[in-house]
Amino acid sequence: MSNIPRGIRRGLFGVSLPVYALLYLPLSVIAIFSFAPSLHHPGVNLAAYGELFNDATVLAALRRSITLAFGSAILGTALGTLMGFGLSRFRPAKGGGFWVGALPSLIIYTPIIMPSLVFGISELIFFNLVHEYTGLLSAGLLTMGIAHVTFQSPYVALVVYARLTGLDPNLFEASHDLYANPIKSFLYLTIPVVRPALIGGFLLAITLSIDDFTISFFTAGPGSVTLPIYIYSAIARKGSSPEINALGSLMIATVIGVALLYYFVTRRQQQRSRQIPAVA
Amino acid sequence: MSTMVQSEARSRAWRLWLTSGPGLFWIILFLLLPSGIMLGIAFFTNSDFGSPVLPLSLSSFSQVAGFGILGWTSANFTVLIRSLLQAGIATTMTILLAYPLVFFIVSRPANLRPVLLLFAIVPSWTNQVVRTYAWMQLLNPFAPVSHLAQSLGLIPPHLGLMPGNFAVFIGLTYNYLPYMVVPLYAAVEKLDWTLVEAGRDLYASGPKLFFNAVFPQTVPGLLSGIILVGIPAFGDYVVPQLLGGDKAMMLGSLIASQFTFSPDWPYGAALTIIMLVFTCIGLVVFRRLTQRLGGGEGAML
Amino acid sequence: MSASVSAKRGAISLTGITRIFAGTIPAVDHIDLEIQAGEFFTLLGPSGCGKTTLLRMIAGFEAPDEGRIVISGREMQGVPAHKRAVNTVFQSYALFPHLNVEQNIGFGLKMQGVKAAERKKRVDAIMDMMQIGQFATRSAAQLSGGQRQRVALARALVNEPEVVLLDEPLSALDAKLRAELQIELLRMQKRLGMTFVFVTHDQHEALVMSDRIAVMSKGRIQQVGPVLDVYEKPKNVFVAEFLGLSNIWAFEPVSAHEARTAIGVLNIGENLTGPGMAMIRPEKIWLYSDNAFEAGRPNMFLGKICEAIYMGASTQYRIELQCGQFLTAYDTNNQAAERSWRPGEAVAVELKPENIMLVEA
Repeated sequence: MSNIPRGIRRGLFGVSLPVYALLYLPLSVIAIFSFAPSLHHPGVNLAAYGELFNDATVLAALRRSITLAFGSAILGTALGTLMGFGLSRFRPAKGGGFWVGALPSLIIYTPIIMPSLVFGISELIFFNLVHEYTGLLSAGLLTMGIAHVTFQSPYVALVVYARLTGLDPNLFEASHDLYANPIKSFLYLTIPVVRPALIGGFLLAITLSIDDFTISFFTAGPGSVTLPIYIYSAIARKGSSPEINALGSLMIATVIGVALLYYFVTRRQQQRSRQIPAVA
Repeated sequence: MSTMVQSEARSRAWRLWLTSGPGLFWIILFLLLPSGIMLGIAFFTNSDFGSPVLPLSLSSFSQVAGFGILGWTSANFTVLIRSLLQAGIATTMTILLAYPLVFFIVSRPANLRPVLLLFAIVPSWTNQVVRTYAWMQLLNPFAPVSHLAQSLGLIPPHLGLMPGNFAVFIGLTYNYLPYMVVPLYAAVEKLDWTLVEAGRDLYASGPKLFFNAVFPQTVPGLLSGIILVGIPAFGDYVVPQLLGGDKAMMLGSLIASQFTFSPDWPYGAALTIIMLVFTCIGLVVFRRLTQRLGGGEGAML
Repeated sequence: MSASVSAKRGAISLTGITRIFAGTIPAVDHIDLEIQAGEFFTLLGPSGCGKTTLLRMIAGFEAPDEGRIVISGREMQGVPAHKRAVNTVFQSYALFPHLNVEQNIGFGLKMQGVKAAERKKRVDAIMDMMQIGQFATRSAAQLSGGQRQRVALARALVNEPEVVLLDEPLSALDAKLRAELQIELLRMQKRLGMTFVFVTHDQHEALVMSDRIAVMSKGRIQQVGPVLDVYEKPKNVFVAEFLGLSNIWAFEPVSAHEARTAIGVLNIGENLTGPGMAMIRPEKIWLYSDNAFEAGRPNMFLGKICEAIYMGASTQYRIELQCGQFLTAYDTNNQAAERSWRPGEAVAVELKPENIMLVEA
């Protein structure tokens, strides 16, 4: 903004550049180390990647991570979308008392605010008890998935809610006015207008799932080692290794890829269906 | 006549529960209920295998306070203070880094800003273990940074910058910087620059202008940022676990070890209550401050 | 209220309509109203008078707590909005952000199951008529306010509904565009012969456009009638004041045609039966120079101009009478006008008996 004097803008640039560098320094270090030469392989060395793709444990962990991310994201997006839709459309505009007004918000914000460790340990105890008394829900991908859905759905709900409350409330009435019954209105109006939020929410849910370690760690079972847990135990066991560097680099690359995809998809959608400015 | 109004309100409420119900029920069943159970467990007695048994007692809380078979120790107290300090210092550092970064972003053309913001956030989307592992690579005793610190006499030779409190501080700052940048950016982006212009006539010097005309407008964003950084940093598990070592133990590791290596569920649950109490104090203080300063919270549900 | 009138396509009959929001005072309070087929009918009133709520009940977005709505002879209780042959033009236009102009206009036809070819034909025809064909593939966000307004209107008209409801559709436009669209709306309505129910708080707009007006206040209809009647013979003080400036005095009858008011005794055309209120519109007051004053001539008073506001075609004067009371008068600035007056000049005013109306408090 031109209001900031030139000198200060230069100063800001001077301070910010190192901050950006600092943000990417550790990530690039991992990437560089993953190609580092070793005793038998001088120069740029792809051996670590080769090992990685032949390591059945890693591939199994990758498969589990992907299953977990997509499985939980699908359910988390469905539940979150319904929550965001319901709260924006059917909650009274003002008040509504504690039960309808405040309680749903409180419930939705709990998973977001609660420290991951408390979250994870609560789940650990709960699943243990349930398993002890009913034999159901033994620790594994299923319990991890349940926990992931629990923290994904509130974020999706927030994204969808923000999109819907940003819309002209008359839109829904207009669709009914133009002969759309509730089902047609949902199909031809609600779904298309929340689509950007839906896609954004789904990608966000996947990112959250891939990003999480603490909650996964406490809900995982012996047979459900996912990539983050594999890396964590590998570090605990033997410190750093070229293989972990390679794995880390691939995970970073994936996340940056998803982030860029998310960014461009939402931006394109926003441009195409920019909201009509509200009329005073 | 009001039956019509009532039935309409009822049909709205019914639709609300039909759509939002499943998700809300899911969160209640799989988070609120479990955390309730966990809090309850704190009042049980520890069995030899670490699982909770009757009778109900407050022994786990006296354990938290430092009383054990061998008398009182200050260990838990130290861990708590260290966690609070680490969270506080890391939060301060993120504030110091985020302000120039955010103002740098808004000083750029509008179409560049989303990309610049995205670049600041993307690292936080990678897995926390990977991020923290990266710092292990940078700070270990054999890394160039450690060599530099050794030759400057900042740390004893043959030791690294890691493990230790310094590494935990770096790790926490790195992990949570984006959580400060995002709310602060939201506040700075809608800054009313006419106020700054008006202030320019009143306050000659730059710092005065900043603290009188600019800073107050960013306070709501700053407060959100403090909550988003402070609470998870205080309860962090991965960073102190990987970068800290025994001498830099934080509350998170202490709690986790009661559920992993040497199980003592009631004790662990009692420690968790302490963590939740501090979290809640933080949230309440933040809410009060936000209300008093009249900060909007954006698209809050 | 003959059944044959209200059974005609496009006729609306409201009986005892009441709507109460969450236990407060009624937003709409026992309204009876007959809107004839093919007329341009306006609901006029200040914000919060219940006019929009009434419109929303006709559209089917809200159900009345009491009363009956009959459209084209069909009872509307339990008929949801999407089954009513009624279309609404919203104040915010409510154009669908994910559809372009063409798709927006065709939405209603598509929902009714009209085949694509037929749909295209009808959408093209209405776009031609509204002169928006060149925007067919633009999204709503790329249109100006006036263009959006046209699209919103086309989206309603293309369905050939029995009734078109318009909720302050012009309020967001600037004065010039507004005047243009007022005329265009009127032309459309006359050409298509549909019933238009128009909601506005702008009395000037209501006067320009309507066949008949219902003036609303506090959930009740104050007066219904042709534009001329409502303006010239307002039933009560509220209607008189809402539809333009007026001079109003309380009076006590002296004889059958003489009333004592704050400005003196007035001769009044109507029969006086008891105390009441008398009203005269500013443009119905005759202004002369003071030397035309005839002492003893009824309804003539001497005064002094305190304020002259030039408004182009006419000038608005604020006059202080000798008795100390003020009144407001308009004088046209055409060639026939005697002259114009400046503040401080002495004038004589005449209030002709036939122009003085009795109004309820």
